[in-house]
Amino acid sequence: MSDARSEVLLEARDVTVRFGGLVAVNAVSTRFHAGELVGIIGPNGAGKTTFFNAISGVVEPTAGRLVARGRDLTGQGPHRYAAHGLARTFQTPRVFADMPVLANIEFGLKFAGRRRRRYWLWGDEQGVPWALRDAPGILRLIGLGEQAELPAGAVTPAQQRLLEIGMALATRPRVLLLDEVAAGLTEAELEEMAWLIRRLRDELDLAVVWIEHAVTTLLRHVERVIVMHQGRVIADGAPSEVVRNAEVIEAYLGDEMLDEDEGARRGSVAGAPGGPPAGEPARGEPRP
Amino acid sequence: MSATAWLELIASGLITGGIYALVALGLNLQYGLMRILNIAHGEFLMLGAYLTWMAQASFGISPLWMVPVSFVLLMLLGVAIHWLFFRRLAATSPNLDIFEARGLMVAFGLMFLVQNLVSYVWGGDLRGYDFLTEPLAVGGAQFAANKLLVLALALAFSGALIVLFRMTLLGKGVRALMQSPVGAQLVGIDTKRLHPAMFGIGLGLSGVAGCLLSMAYTISPAMGEPYTVTALIVITLGGFGSMSGALAGGLLLGVVEAIGMHFTNPSLKALLSYVVFIGVLLLRPKGLFSK
Amino acid sequence: MNSRQLLIRDALVLFGLTGWALSLPYYGSEFAVSMALTCLMYVALSSSWGLFCGSTRYLSLATSAFFGIGAYTSALMLERIGWTESILLGAAIATAVAVAMGAAVLHLRGTYFAVLTFGMTELIRHAISYFEKSVTGTVGRVLAVVPERDTIYLTVLVLAAGTVALSIAVRRTRFGLALMGIGADEQRAQTLGVNTRRVKLAGFAMTAAVAGAMGAAVSVRWTYIDPHTVFNPFIGFQTVLIALIGGPVTLWGPLIAAVVFSLLAETLRLQAPQVYMMSLGMLLILSVLYLPGGLASLRWVTLRQWRDDTRAWWRERRYEWSGEKEREKRRARERRLV
Repeated sequence: MSDARSEVLLEARDVTVRFGGLVAVNAVSTRFHAGELVGIIGPNGAGKTTFFNAISGVVEPTAGRLVARGRDLTGQGPHRYAAHGLARTFQTPRVFADMPVLANIEFGLKFAGRRRRRYWLWGDEQGVPWALRDAPGILRLIGLGEQAELPAGAVTPAQQRLLEIGMALATRPRVLLLDEVAAGLTEAELEEMAWLIRRLRDELDLAVVWIEHAVTTLLRHVERVIVMHQGRVIADGAPSEVVRNAEVIEAYLGDEMLDEDEGARRGSVAGAPGGPPAGEPARGEPRP
Repeated sequence: MSATAWLELIASGLITGGIYALVALGLNLQYGLMRILNIAHGEFLMLGAYLTWMAQASFGISPLWMVPVSFVLLMLLGVAIHWLFFRRLAATSPNLDIFEARGLMVAFGLMFLVQNLVSYVWGGDLRGYDFLTEPLAVGGAQFAANKLLVLALALAFSGALIVLFRMTLLGKGVRALMQSPVGAQLVGIDTKRLHPAMFGIGLGLSGVAGCLLSMAYTISPAMGEPYTVTALIVITLGGFGSMSGALAGGLLLGVVEAIGMHFTNPSLKALLSYVVFIGVLLLRPKGLFSK
Repeated sequence: MNSRQLLIRDALVLFGLTGWALSLPYYGSEFAVSMALTCLMYVALSSSWGLFCGSTRYLSLATSAFFGIGAYTSALMLERIGWTESILLGAAIATAVAVAMGAAVLHLRGTYFAVLTFGMTELIRHAISYFEKSVTGTVGRVLAVVPERDTIYLTVLVLAAGTVALSIAVRRTRFGLALMGIGADEQRAQTLGVNTRRVKLAGFAMTAAVAGAMGAAVSVRWTYIDPHTVFNPFIGFQTVLIALIGGPVTLWGPLIAAVVFSLLAETLRLQAPQVYMMSLGMLLILSVLYLPGGLASLRWVTLRQWRDDTRAWWRERRYEWSGEKEREKRRARERRLV
């Protein structure tokens, strides 16, 4: 829940990214709190992925500042962002294709995910959530336990997307940036993915920021949605408000937003204590 | 320095620059279009020089005939090389970076192969022949006729190529491909035929440069490498993929080198070229003339 | 075989080879020792090259530069300081140059990096050439104090064995994993927490240290050095060739290839040096085209695959030449028109 009292994990202040003459991200200011599930939507070219690139250190902002839990990280490399708890996935899954799935997860564990151990080189790592304590555990969490030994290039694209999330989790993040993880999935897979994301947010107390084109599903699961258009934020609030925003409707040419309106009025608005859809195992039970 | 001395200096710079431009154009074509960094380019220049020398020494054929002949011969060789080696590489490389890296390595191997083949067949001694060595007086300065011819032919060839690329449909197709490989293919330009042909033309240019060089200078199996390096410097200066940049850069470099060598120590020439090269690559990797 | 067993196997093989090499000066001829020396030199150079450049796919052509720096260090300092100190100093100076060079160029993509390292090598060569000619007035340097052949051999052996041991060890550490990650997908590795800049610098410096030490050790055998010989780009080329043909990412690939090429070199180089170089070139081309993983990745499966591929190709050609293909096409066309 976007409780004003919960910790601000990441703050973007007037972040602008300019490529030559093109302004991809235009003075975006926002905050992400622990436990929030935020969606980012917008037409193609709105600057969503560039924004992600800026807040994960892949691209240096032309102007503005990025502050993670009080530390100003502007201008530093992606590895510093990862060290401060910002993990991301990429639009097209970038896994290490020649390495086995398990090794892909272990990679993050060995670098940004490393934590001090209790007795220097022995004992459990400190400050690590139970679910993320080791690679097999993370694999089970995302549902790829069976595929541990397969080369990452050999699993299906849907599984690669899950692996991407797993690799990001291996860095023991506080903020999880998901870039269109649901692209190309069926309706059912989409729902599963959404519930997985919610579970991750709940169990690990993360801030999850989720860019998605499957707007219908997204709006049903997030509590807060940011709409970007041509590099600017044109709306930021609860889904029910955002879908009625005139500027948003205009930007999206109306149709999609009107469908959202219908969905919102029918009552499955995110934030309402809806349970998992029928057929989905209750939390805590192993996946079939 | 007197005006005639300046004229001679600049002219000699232009002469070497013309050769540089030809070689750079060929290399540019190969890299800009196909992303093949042909580090063996200079070796084919050397091959052209040797073929011309052999034609002249063994069969008495005038080097002037060899200008088009060496172009054609090396172009055919280029098509063969592309078909034999690079086609498979393009098919089996998973992405562009790997293709570039592998292409570089194949070119490496070619460098060894060609240089030593020539050395084996014709021996490592310096060779040369005399052709049109009578001096000509132009504007009060003295020039060797053969060097002037070299300049004239180099400029003619380069100019013809650039005009061809601007005017003809084929040329426009090539330029389109250089800018956007996928887009051009969608419009229907056939890369399977085009690439070997263009690779061949690139090598052909190198061969012509070698042929021209042999008219005025001595040749040896190791002569190619410095020209490869210079060509690299030129296309870096002019911007990867820009034909007119390669031409302008080549001539410019030739003149700058000549002036530099005259006023400072000649042994600084290589040093200065490398400093320029590294400087440009580091500071303006897109070339001096890019925005 | 699991990881620990592999480690033991590798360590044992290294131990055995080192022991055998150690005994060589006692029973081998002058020629054999000389050949072994060159072989060991390339084992060290190509192993360290492969460890960094093979994993990260940043192709460095700067080996000759570092080799030459080491050579000049020992040429200038050997009379004043001891043997071991010269070697270490050579390695240290080469490393310092590598760090400077790397800081400037390691952020560039693969091909740019390769070309730039080559340019910088030549730059250093010409700079020292010019410096020697103009400032110190010499063309080359004569080494007056030269240690015994056995001392040199032992040093080179220690360096080679040490490099292979380092290779075995690094592959098991985080550093080795970081190198592989950079080669697989550098940006991804960065977002997973790898400080790629530092890792690349360290890897590059490592290749420089080995090359510098080697240069310092081996050049004394020649007793006379000049920029042309010790900065000869061919040293770098041959290192790259050997590593690539042997299998740049593997542990034993460069070693096997170094042995093969030393043998080839010594047998061919005196009679027909050009044939040797030509075969190097041809082998490189063939291995890049058909065996990108190098000799070390050669398996029975690969050979069988080649056999099947050749058979399929031959079948395809016969199909074409017999005219059957043309007839099929015509029939297909007719069917479509109908």
